[in-house]
Amino acid sequence: MGTTNAAPRTPATAPPPTRVTARTGARGFSTISPRETVVRYGLMVLVVFLTIGPFLWQLSTSLKGAAEDVYTRTPSFLPTSPTLEHYVTAFQAVPILDFAGNSVVVAALVVGGNVVGATLAGYALARLRFRGSRLVMAAILFTLLLPGEATLVAQYLTIRQLGLADTLLGVALPGMVGMINVLLMRTAFVAIPKELDEAAIVDGANAFQRFWRIGVPNVKGMIAVITIFAFIGAWDDFLWPLIVLTTPDRFTLTVGLQYLSGVFTNNPRIVAAGTMIAFIPIVAFFAVLQRYFFRGVDEGAIKG
Amino acid sequence: MSSRKIRAAGAALAFGVAVSGCALSGTGGGEGAAGDAAQEVASGEVTGEVSLQTWALKPTFTDYVQGVIDGFEEEYPGTEVTWLDQPGDGYSEKVLSQAAAGELPDVTNLPPDFALPLAREGQLMELTAVDDELEATYVAGGLEAYRYRGIEGTYGYPWYLTTDVNYWNTDMLEAGGLDADALPTDLDGLLEQARTMKEESGEYLMSRTPGLGDFAAMGVEILDEDGTEFTFNTPEAAALLDVYRDAYAEKLLPKDVLTDTYLGNSQLFTEGKVAWSTGGGNFIDGVIESNPSLDGKIVPSEAFGTPPMYVQGVSVSANTENPAAAVALARWVTNAANQEAFSQEVPGIFPSTLESQENPDFTESDGTPQGDAKVLAFTSLAGAEVLQPVEVTEAMATVVKQQIAAAVAGDVTSAEALDVAVEECNKLLADQ
Repeated sequence: MGTTNAAPRTPATAPPPTRVTARTGARGFSTISPRETVVRYGLMVLVVFLTIGPFLWQLSTSLKGAAEDVYTRTPSFLPTSPTLEHYVTAFQAVPILDFAGNSVVVAALVVGGNVVGATLAGYALARLRFRGSRLVMAAILFTLLLPGEATLVAQYLTIRQLGLADTLLGVALPGMVGMINVLLMRTAFVAIPKELDEAAIVDGANAFQRFWRIGVPNVKGMIAVITIFAFIGAWDDFLWPLIVLTTPDRFTLTVGLQYLSGVFTNNPRIVAAGTMIAFIPIVAFFAVLQRYFFRGVDEGAIKG
Repeated sequence: MSSRKIRAAGAALAFGVAVSGCALSGTGGGEGAAGDAAQEVASGEVTGEVSLQTWALKPTFTDYVQGVIDGFEEEYPGTEVTWLDQPGDGYSEKVLSQAAAGELPDVTNLPPDFALPLAREGQLMELTAVDDELEATYVAGGLEAYRYRGIEGTYGYPWYLTTDVNYWNTDMLEAGGLDADALPTDLDGLLEQARTMKEESGEYLMSRTPGLGDFAAMGVEILDEDGTEFTFNTPEAAALLDVYRDAYAEKLLPKDVLTDTYLGNSQLFTEGKVAWSTGGGNFIDGVIESNPSLDGKIVPSEAFGTPPMYVQGVSVSANTENPAAAVALARWVTNAANQEAFSQEVPGIFPSTLESQENPDFTESDGTPQGDAKVLAFTSLAGAEVLQPVEVTEAMATVVKQQIAAAVAGDVTSAEALDVAVEECNKLLADQ
């Protein structure tokens, strides 16, 4: 994920002679020795294991039977008596679908807010000239420096004064235009050659037409990136929804799943099952969007 | 992840207190207010709406809590209790933001360390002014936990108590040439058996470094009486660190006890990597739930030295609109009958009420290791004390841990490490 984020615009500046996709691109430069291949794959497997190891462990824990040891001297990933009963228990213990519904509402608000707000703001900062644009940029950069935790209580007091305490809108509002997303969109718009814009101005296009017909089509990849970021951020957030929400009916999934681990009851298998249930939508979301995510890498600005 | 969380909690805590301080400067939580509250509690009728906040008791104990609430509403007709249950994680942040917004529930379950910042800011009702029966109702250790250095008064009704006992893995003891009937009873015995085990089977018995609690258990004063200065840099504490340093050099402790990968001795015990752990009276149930193969292979024994006392309690908001009913509810939740019933629901926790201390339900074991552990924990409670002062914040605990790790690793002398830890902690204390 990290590399695609930095890469989107590079192929535009140096189109390779033959049609090469990003994944096989390395072969275009030189052929690599078998030894290097082994080293590369070895490193890749290592990183894959480090990244998804904890996830696999959770998955295997959630499937382990009640008579099976969860913590063994050497972690065992294959349940000897696999069972789905912990998922059933998790579903029975808490209204997971209601919580998930609340999470969907929050995530939709946050994703919508970021896609619209961050794209518009990013375009304005990249392409429009207006008084105080530098000041706005500076303000955005400075808010990025503030750790979210430091403003937590002040933010809550604000939301409460707006009358949004204990509402899903109150949960979503502070994250609806993420400053980092504005910056990302600005960077994406800046990378579109100015000549395109100038040509459009000559053709008589106004600011909004240039934004819609020239800007947006060229930053779809980045929009997919911020969509995913916004979704994951909204879906995974725990502390903020916990503080805003009071009524259990309105809890989001991360907060609601806490009911699975009480003070004196802590069956790691059920907790793991709850974690997997919360995790599945993220996988699905990424799977749907990854096409655009990687397409953004290939897209060049000047294609005709 | 966890260190980020801790920092987050610290930041939120500091900020929350600052904000609540501003928000409340107008109301004043001082003695005048306490006097008014006393009058209102004494003369007020117990009726009307009152809210109760518990911590992570839903859904497992829904029936129990609902039963307590129903009993209260029956006892005091006209009352209506709103019950809120907060999730386990993030409770400290939740409570602080509630307090900052002035919406702390009338009666809230707060452990002593969470109650301290709220008491400092005048958010909690001082209870000696409204209740003469405290000493006659609750054990001294429980009340003591809600009396803070430098602040006058008692800020919580003690609820349930827990303590630690020792747990031993008999399989590993046997393989290590040790006898489960001759368990160590002090640190020297522990070291000796750890050595035997290391030689016989190459396994570890011990897997923890000492902390402030261990110093306190030896009688070292951690914090002075006014709560203004840390005092644990004594020769006795240094001597204890020396013992651990030598044990570490002798490889009687796993290497990673000093690093971030250390999961805690209870986790290593559950995994079957070490033969000794400490834990509460219900620890054994959790271990067996996670790893059923350990069933029947765990025996408990008494803690070394002074056992620690862990206290949970309920506090009353200083800004409650219904003080009479709030105090009545707090008393009701913590009364002997309700506490004893709760201890029946959760093996390993014990009532803080004096009249429950003779209850045979807690003093007679059913013969299982679980039952033995429960009885051991209960009998240890009589001599238990709150070992680590509640004034010790997360940041201070981290400093102390780092310095102790340096001393045990042998990088600095024990006395130096303790001096640095005390100095840093005093700075943190002064900054509050």
